[in-house]
Amino acid sequence: MAFTYSLLASTTVGSGGASSINFTNIPQNYTDLCLVISARVTRAVSASVICLTFNGSASGYSQRNINGNGASAASVSTSATVNLTYMEVPAANATASTFGNHSIYIPQYSGSSNKSISIDSVSENNGTTAYANLNAGLWANVTAINSLSLTEPNGNSNFVQYSTAYLYGIRAGEY
Amino acid sequence: MAITKATNAGFASNKYNNVSADNYYMEPIAKTLVGSGGTSTITFSNIPQNYKHLQLRTLSKSDYSALAGDDTNNMYFNSDTTYTNYRTHRLNGNGSSATSNTVQSSGVQILAAGQSTRSYTGYTSMFGCGVIDILDYTNTNKYKTVRMLAGSDMNGAGDIAFHSSLWMNTAPITNIVINNSVGNFTQYSRFALYGIRG
Repeated sequence: MAFTYSLLASTTVGSGGASSINFTNIPQNYTDLCLVISARVTRAVSASVICLTFNGSASGYSQRNINGNGASAASVSTSATVNLTYMEVPAANATASTFGNHSIYIPQYSGSSNKSISIDSVSENNGTTAYANLNAGLWANVTAINSLSLTEPNGNSNFVQYSTAYLYGIRAGEY
Repeated sequence: MAITKATNAGFASNKYNNVSADNYYMEPIAKTLVGSGGTSTITFSNIPQNYKHLQLRTLSKSDYSALAGDDTNNMYFNSDTTYTNYRTHRLNGNGSSATSNTVQSSGVQILAAGQSTRSYTGYTSMFGCGVIDILDYTNTNKYKTVRMLAGSDMNGAGDIAFHSSLWMNTAPITNIVINNSVGNFTQYSRFALYGIRG
């Protein structure tokens, strides 16, 4: 029987906002990680990307993406970049009280292979434009993941109060 | 004393499942299996408020048979049937093209709640499926954003659907109603609601 969602850590952004959301000292005795995020940022646009990095590393990331913006669909890719992106959250000009809904799944995060990442991300807004992104990501690094960081890369923009992030460990049973 | 190991006589005697009663943060809340008469509506009421997130899993089929295809199920919360309180954005692929649009329709309370295969000729025993996640469903500082990944494949036709939906209300979700846009849910359709602690 597999373990389902053991909460490792969570964070709720307070009234002062936060420039990043970080999880450190991640236990290494689980099989997979699942990070769920409900976030909004202060940037003066309707939606803004947030970025994910592991172990403080700024190299080795690539991804394949399919996305929709409420009017058209597209597919893009990145290679050898500094982070995983294409996760869009509502920002200051989006409908009030609206937060994104994101799930990041990392199987075998503590293993000695390169890390594969699946990201499902939606932003929402009461209008034509909102962003849905499905991403297949790669961190070309065989090091076990012991920390991860979410940031808003555009400067002078923070995660707003009530943004939340929950990191779960999932352990497969032994058979 | 915490339970740390359990054995199953059906497996080899030297195999164990490691169990920790403290680690089950995802728990079943309720489920519905549609019976022989079918049903127009699935309702989850009196949803416990002691979780952080909800996950709805669907496996469904409609009795609509006039045309081929499949449809996204509709959903609304807390008996709120005011359509202007809802908005959905869609990303769909049908095997030959991908599209994106937005929906806010008079008379229809659209939150995306899984995909249902129709009962068209040749679609016997084919069901659509979906996983729907609602984060922070009790948070009174947030409108509720729904994320759905769903699909339906009828061996030559079908859709994959990645939708987001917004319920513009900060009230905690206590009640969920699901229906199909073109017909009733058929026998063997099933809907299961899970709570995830945080």
